[in-house]
Amino acid sequence: MLSVFSYGRLVARAVIGGLSQTDSRDYSLVSASFGFGKDFRKGILKKGMCYGDDACFIARHRSADVLGVADGVGGWRDYGVDPSQFSGTLMRTCERLVKEGRFVPSNPVGILTTSYYELLQNKVPLLGSSTACIVVLDRQSHQLHTANLGDSGFLVVRGGEVVHRSDEQQHYFNTPFQLSIAPPEAEGSVLSDSPEAADSSSFDVQLGDIILTATDGLFDNMPDYMILQELKKLKNTNYESIQQTAKSIAEQAHVLAYDPNYMSPFAQFACDNGLNVRGGKPDDITVLLSIVAEYTD
Amino acid sequence: MFPMLTLLSMFYYICLRRRSRSGTRSEALGSRRAVELGQRSALPVTVEVEQYGKEVLDFSSHYGSENSMSYTMWNLAGVPNVYPSSGDFTQTAVFRTYGSWWEQCTSSATPFRRTPPNFHSLDYLELAFEEPVYPTAVEVLETYHPGAIVKILACSLNPFSQNPPADVRWEVLWAGKPNKALTPQARQFSPSIRQISFASNLLRLEVNSTLLDYYTELDAVILRGVRERPILALYKIPVIDINDLSDSEEEISDAGGLCCRSGGENRHNLGNGYFDRLPYELIQLIVSHLSVPDLCRLAQSCKLFHKHCCDPLQYIQLSLQPYWARLTDASLSHLQSRCTLLQRLNMSWTGNRGAVTAAGFCSFMKACGLSLVCLELSCCHFLNEACLEVIAQTCQCLQELNLASCDRLQPQAFNLITKLPNLRRLVLYRTKVEQSAILSILTFCPELRHLNLGSCVMIEDYDVVASMLSTRCRSLRSLDLWRCRNLSERGLAELVSGCRLLEELDLGWCSTLQSSSGCFQHLARSLPRLRKLFLTANRTVCDSDLEELAANCSALEHLDILGTRMVSPVSLRKLLQCCPRLKLLDVSFCSQIDSRFIQELSGLFPNVSIKKSFTQ
Repeated sequence: MLSVFSYGRLVARAVIGGLSQTDSRDYSLVSASFGFGKDFRKGILKKGMCYGDDACFIARHRSADVLGVADGVGGWRDYGVDPSQFSGTLMRTCERLVKEGRFVPSNPVGILTTSYYELLQNKVPLLGSSTACIVVLDRQSHQLHTANLGDSGFLVVRGGEVVHRSDEQQHYFNTPFQLSIAPPEAEGSVLSDSPEAADSSSFDVQLGDIILTATDGLFDNMPDYMILQELKKLKNTNYESIQQTAKSIAEQAHVLAYDPNYMSPFAQFACDNGLNVRGGKPDDITVLLSIVAEYTD
Repeated sequence: MFPMLTLLSMFYYICLRRRSRSGTRSEALGSRRAVELGQRSALPVTVEVEQYGKEVLDFSSHYGSENSMSYTMWNLAGVPNVYPSSGDFTQTAVFRTYGSWWEQCTSSATPFRRTPPNFHSLDYLELAFEEPVYPTAVEVLETYHPGAIVKILACSLNPFSQNPPADVRWEVLWAGKPNKALTPQARQFSPSIRQISFASNLLRLEVNSTLLDYYTELDAVILRGVRERPILALYKIPVIDINDLSDSEEEISDAGGLCCRSGGENRHNLGNGYFDRLPYELIQLIVSHLSVPDLCRLAQSCKLFHKHCCDPLQYIQLSLQPYWARLTDASLSHLQSRCTLLQRLNMSWTGNRGAVTAAGFCSFMKACGLSLVCLELSCCHFLNEACLEVIAQTCQCLQELNLASCDRLQPQAFNLITKLPNLRRLVLYRTKVEQSAILSILTFCPELRHLNLGSCVMIEDYDVVASMLSTRCRSLRSLDLWRCRNLSERGLAELVSGCRLLEELDLGWCSTLQSSSGCFQHLARSLPRLRKLFLTANRTVCDSDLEELAANCSALEHLDILGTRMVSPVSLRKLLQCCPRLKLLDVSFCSQIDSRFIQELSGLFPNVSIKKSFTQ
């Protein structure tokens, strides 16, 4: 008799416990950015959220928080085109799309596609190319939707371990997938991938998850374990600590990039492909660090 | 114990009530701030509310693509994105035309007689705000070539309310002449507005950019107002404003009723003085100079003038566009008896929000449309398939039909245009006409001289349309294919080989045309009569194209090659030398053409207006 009672109580508790797992609170991302341009060219003042030829944005909307990074392809400089114009305009356009609500949180590839076609609507003849990575947190459904074209990417860290990461998209060595607008005379010979070629993924996130979105300047110079080490030092979810951690990660990557003897992930990959190189990879570094927290107005 | 309990509960109750009384009320959300106006005396404190636009509900045209956020009218809602910077930015609201360049083209409609001198509006937009207020100020942030705003109106209808009232009133807050600011730099335009007797959250801006050097661009509109009716208005004795007399158009609807009454009365035959001695035709000539409301008022004065003012010969041309705010079904039915000889009718902008119904329009058409030659129905959102059916059946002589921005008209309605074989001018800008309908229209309307298919997004394959034009509409003089999605060099080649009489061709933002295919050179060689050519934002236009234009198209007057990197100063100079009639040349964002060269060219060729827009 008593065992039935206690058994029944256990079952009831389990059921109620299971039901209360569903969290009706809205989530949000507390984000901070930091970065370094490859060379500190004197006299060229970049607007905020642009580091060298990289650009990024953080935007909030009623239904979602959206982040993005874009790595401008530096090769355009040889043809007299400023590579930061394309990546910067792409990110500004994505930001505007999000702020005006012209997007669907579960379709980050749509943000890229719409933004790319908006670039073509500009009277100014934009030229250049860049990679892009968009991360969208749907506040209500607690899902993270991502789109990645090229070799920028993101990591999701939970409990000190990487639980999700993006894949690099490369055509061949050092030639990532890229969105581009080419001058008409070079239409055929310039690599131009469609925004629909972006990899997309969706998964659940929990409170306290850390999302690191960065360009290849970070991932090519800092292996995962170093990044995780830095992230362990992140104690609170307030903006200042996140900003501090992002800064320290970016600084560390910047130092490693100019170390000629260090076996960076980039050098490792080159060696695996038969190129005998050592050292870091000087590049623009952009780091966007976010933590999933509760939504406050 | 019980007295203690009751005492405690009373105490608690009193405390609760006090807390609820001083509780905070939730403040408004969104983009509003409450600012206190200090009036500390016996008058209640008025709180001024400042709002940015919430949603653009209607407009007559815009520069950008449908579904885009670059240079489109929807950018006017929300907070400013560009102001106080000046320049040609994508985040602003831009209309389709500027200056008088489009009016100079043969494809434009001839102006209607009896347009009142204070009606200057060429374009409009309607902007809704969150909360209805009694307006105290309206500020428009213009970020490029300001000076185009000519009228600001407020509506009594709340567009977001679930049950709209039957009576919709529009009041003019401010009206002025088209202007041109001294510099194209950004400015905040804040005219002093009239006080009105109702709260409004729907504003309408009417615009005329005729005097401006380039496209005007608007960033945001701020509406300041108070929630409660201003005390001052209650005490103010309404002064009869002379301007009101010329503005009141309700006479058009009242006229019919009064006319009926005065016609039936027994009048003392006092004679009409000298007017009895004047020949009929002379009085007709005098009366022909009156505007339509004055005509209706004069008709009420005496039997003689009633006869003259209701004579159908006075209503051969009728423009009701300046009176769009007051025109109703009743007005149309009263005008019906006089308009039997109507040949040109302009009802653009009229009848929205239920003022004119499809049924009212149909009965007017059936009565008055038999001799109709020109019908302007731009932005008439009451139109439906039944209306077009009536037009098709009744107006067999119709030569000009303008349905610009009738974007709520169903696609199948356009098939009815095939029943108008005498059509010479057809404007379908920003409509939902589909491929099958336009192909049928072109098959059955071989007399077409002027065709506007700008921003017709539902047409899938413009090459087929071009092919049909070249076989069926060989007398085509002007063609507007602004932002047509997929015209290729094949279609263009067929078009220019079939339509040899083409004088105006607008291929702005047609990005699928590649100069490397030689299509523009072929175009230049095939169309010696070309007067207007727009190749806006076609990034492939190059020197050889300009050289062919210089060699073949000496009649060229308007040329737009915005945004190409491949045109050099040398070929531009050659073009200007070879085209003596050139008046408009737009080389904005052409990277090889700098301002110093523009200055040099302007000195050498003073008759040419050379446009070079800038972003900062």
